[in-house]
Amino acid sequence: MRMRASLAALLLAVLAGLSACGKKGGTTKEDGLRRAYDSEPDWNDAQHIVALGYQEAQGKRIFYAQCVWCHADATPAGPSNRSNVTPTPPLMNDGAVLNAESDEYVQNIITLGGSAMGKSPMMPPYGRVLSEEDVRAVIAFTRAIAQPAYQIPARPGAKFPAK
Amino acid sequence: MPAEEMGKLSRGIRLAFAISSVVFVAVLAISPVKDLRREWKQYKRAYVRFAQTRADTKRLLADYHSDIDQIWIPSMNVVDRCTSCHQGITLPSLADRAVPQPFRAHPPIPHRPKEWGCTVCHRGQGPATEVAEAHETTLAWEQPMLANRFIQASCGTCHRADLPETPKLNRGRQLLAELHCVGCHRLQDVERPAMLGPDLTNIGTKVTREWIYKWLKEPQTLTDKDGNVTVNGYETEEEPRMPKFRLTEQELRSLSAYLSTLRSKPVEAVRFDPRVVAALAKKPDVAQQGEVRFRQMFCSTCHSLAVTRAGETKLIGGDIGPELTKVGSKVNADWLAAWLRNPQSYLAHSKMPRYQWSDEDLYTVTQYIRTNLTDSDLLSNVPQLGAAAPEEIQAGRRLFLEKGCASCHAIEGISPQRDFGPDLSALGAKNVSELEFGRATIPRSLVSYIQAKLTNPVSVNPAARMPQYALNAADLDALTTALLSMTGSSAPSGMQKLMIPRKDAAFHPAGAFGEVYERYKCYACHKFNGYGGDLAPDLSYEGSRATRPWLVDFLKNPQTLRPTLVLRMPQFNMSDKEAGILADYFGMALQNPDVNPASLDARLFTPQIAALGKQLYEVKFQCQACHTIGNSGGYVGPNLTNAGSWLTRAWIAAWLKNPQALVPDTIEPRRSFTENEIKALTAYLLTLRQSGKAQPKTAQREALRGAPERAGE
Repeated sequence: MRMRASLAALLLAVLAGLSACGKKGGTTKEDGLRRAYDSEPDWNDAQHIVALGYQEAQGKRIFYAQCVWCHADATPAGPSNRSNVTPTPPLMNDGAVLNAESDEYVQNIITLGGSAMGKSPMMPPYGRVLSEEDVRAVIAFTRAIAQPAYQIPARPGAKFPAK
Repeated sequence: MPAEEMGKLSRGIRLAFAISSVVFVAVLAISPVKDLRREWKQYKRAYVRFAQTRADTKRLLADYHSDIDQIWIPSMNVVDRCTSCHQGITLPSLADRAVPQPFRAHPPIPHRPKEWGCTVCHRGQGPATEVAEAHETTLAWEQPMLANRFIQASCGTCHRADLPETPKLNRGRQLLAELHCVGCHRLQDVERPAMLGPDLTNIGTKVTREWIYKWLKEPQTLTDKDGNVTVNGYETEEEPRMPKFRLTEQELRSLSAYLSTLRSKPVEAVRFDPRVVAALAKKPDVAQQGEVRFRQMFCSTCHSLAVTRAGETKLIGGDIGPELTKVGSKVNADWLAAWLRNPQSYLAHSKMPRYQWSDEDLYTVTQYIRTNLTDSDLLSNVPQLGAAAPEEIQAGRRLFLEKGCASCHAIEGISPQRDFGPDLSALGAKNVSELEFGRATIPRSLVSYIQAKLTNPVSVNPAARMPQYALNAADLDALTTALLSMTGSSAPSGMQKLMIPRKDAAFHPAGAFGEVYERYKCYACHKFNGYGGDLAPDLSYEGSRATRPWLVDFLKNPQTLRPTLVLRMPQFNMSDKEAGILADYFGMALQNPDVNPASLDARLFTPQIAALGKQLYEVKFQCQACHTIGNSGGYVGPNLTNAGSWLTRAWIAAWLKNPQALVPDTIEPRRSFTENEIKALTAYLLTLRQSGKAQPKTAQREALRGAPERAGE
C-alpha cells in the first residue's frame, strides 16, 4: 500500500516537473509583454500574467511614462534611478507597503508630492501634470499588480463592498 | 332561435363549442404571456431582484422603469437599447467585478455612454432587443460586437491621429506603415511614402546573384513557434520589413538572375589618397582602428549589430537603418566605400546622413566592415548559380511584376504598381458574407479572417499573392486593431462628420540651412514643427532653449545629456561653417514665442539669489532625485552640470513655470513655484558650468563676438 502511494507520489512529481518544463518553453519575451498593453507580468513571477481592465491599462501607460524610473528596478531605458533616491522609494507592486495605504492617501501623495504629506521631498507633485483620472488609473494599476494581492477594504456597515 | 331548438343541439356540438372557446381564449393569451417573458423584460425583473439584495437599493432603482430604455442620438444615427438590460452602466457602486453581468457599471472612459451610446464603440446591433441579435452575427445582421481586445479600433474610427490612450491602435498603425502594407493595399489615412523598399535600379553593383537568391529564399527573418522573431539568427524585437515570398527554385533563379544584371550606373570607386592607404595598409590593426571609429561615430544609433554577452546573442543598436552584423559578406567593396561617402548618389531617398569623412576614417571603417562584420557561411547553402542566362533574365523581369515586387521596389523603366492588392480602406466595416474563407476551418468572423490572413495568407486563399510576415501575438492584435479601425465611408453610424483628421506637416526648408539639414538628415531622428522622427528631442524650439556657443560645440562634438540613453547623436564630423549655419537657423527660426529673452534682466541674478536657488534645489525641492550635477544625483532628467552654458535664462525660467507648455510630453512634473523661486532656481542653474575642462574654443570665440547669452556670471 505504502509502495503504491509512493509510486503515485513519484508519478505526480514527474508530471508536475514536466508541466513546469512546458511552461518554461512557452515564455514570451519581456519586450513583447510590455507591448501587451492590457496585461502585465507579475514582477516577482514572470510566468504569472495579470490581465488589466481599461483603467488599469491606462494606469500602466502612465506608470511606464512617469513613475517607472524610481518605482521599479527595471525601466524601459534599462537601469533604474531607484538606487539614487534616498530614502529608497517603494516598488510599485510592493503590497506589503502599499496595500495598507488607502486610495485617498496614495492619490494625495501623487497629486501633492512627498513634502506636502510629510514624506520625502524627492517625490515631486504630479497634480498639475496628471489629471485626477490619470492618478486614479495609476492607483488601479498598482493595486492590480500588488504582491501580496490587494483586497478592497470593506466599508464599515456595507453589506457589499463597493469600490 | 327558440329554446326548445337549442335543447335539440346534440351534447357533442355543445362540448365542441366549449372546448373551442377555451382554446380560443388560450391562444389569445399566448401573445401577452410571450410578451411578458421577452428576454429584456426578464432582465428588467432580474435587475429589480438584484437591486433588492444590495444595501443601496433605493439609489439603484431611482431611474428604473419597466419599459425599454433607449439612447437616441439622431446626429450619429445611434439608437441603442443596450441599457434595457445593462441597467447599471452608469452606477458607480456597481463597478465591482463581483457584480453579475449585465448589471455591472461601465469602467470609467473619456466618453460618457449616455452621450455617445454603446454601438459607437462596441458595434453590434443597437436597436435589437434580443441578446443574440444585439451581440452576434445573425441571419439578419452581420456586424457583431467587437471583442474588448480590439476595442481601440473604435477609437480610431473617429480619432485618425494617435491618442495616448490607445497604444495598441497606435502600434498597429505604426506597423501598417513600417510593414509597407500601403505598397499593395489602399489604406485609410496612410499615405504612400516616397520610398518603400530600396530602389533596385543598380542592385547588381551592390550585391551578388547568390546573395539575392539567399535573401529571396530566406529574408533575414525567422520566427519560432512562440512568435519570437530572429534576424540572421539573432533575437530582435524589430519587425522585418522584407516579408517572405513563397518562391520556387525556378523563380528564385530567375529573379536573382534578373536583379543581378541591373547595373546601369557603375559604382564610382572612391580614390583614396595613396599615402593614407600605404601608411594604413602596413598596420596590422586597421580593422580595430575602424571599429573604434565606427563606435565613436555612433553608427549604432541607427544600425544594430549582434553582440554576445554572457552566452546570449542579441542585437544592440537602433532600427532606423538595417542591421549590419554580416553586411561585410553582402556588399561589394567598392560599393561600400562609395556608399559611405555619399549614400544618396546610389539611393536618392536614403535616410543615411552624408558624413564628412577623412580618407583615413573611411578606409579604416570600410576595412572593419569588410573584415569583422562577415560570415563565411552566409552563402554556404546557395547553389552555384553562374552567369545569368537571357531566358532567366526575361522570366525574372516578368516575375518581378507578377509577384508584386514593383509595388515596393522601384526600377528605372518599370512603372510602379498601384493597388496590387485589394482595397482595405473599409475593411473594418466588411460583412462576413463578403469574405472568402476557402477551406479554412476557422470561425466565420472578420477578426478571425484578418488574423488568419496575417498569420498565413495561404490558409484562407491558396492562391494568395500576399507574402508571409512574421508577427508576434501582441503585434498581430495591434495590426488587427488598426485594420478594424478603418471603416471607410461606410462607417456604422453617422460618424464621418466627427472624424478628427490626421495632419502631417512636411518640413523641408531651402537655403543654406536646408542643405545641411538634408545632408545630415536631422529629421530622421528629430522633430521640427511637427515633422520628423521621435528618437531624439523635438527641436522646434531649440533656438529658445540652447545658447549658440553650446549648440555649435554640441553639433561638432555631441555628448549625451541623458546618461540612460544607449542611442546617441552620431559624430558627423561637421565643419565649423555647417555647425554655425545650423545654430544660426535655430536661433532665428526655431523659437518659442512664450520664451522671451528680454523678460529677464541678467542683473537680477546676483550671487545671493543664486545661493538661495541652490538651497531650494538641494533642500526644498530636492531636484537631485532626478538630475545630476557633477558626480551625484539621479539620471531621469538631463545632466545639469553644464546648464549655465547650455540653457538660456529665458528658457530655464519658462521651463520652471510650465515645462509641458514647451515640450508637451516631457515627464518633468509641472510645479507651483513662486516667481521668486523661479528667479532663484534660474540664477542657480545659470551658475553651473562644466569645470575641469577648458572653456571650449568655439565658446571663447563666441564670447569675443559678444554673444548675448552670458548671463549669471
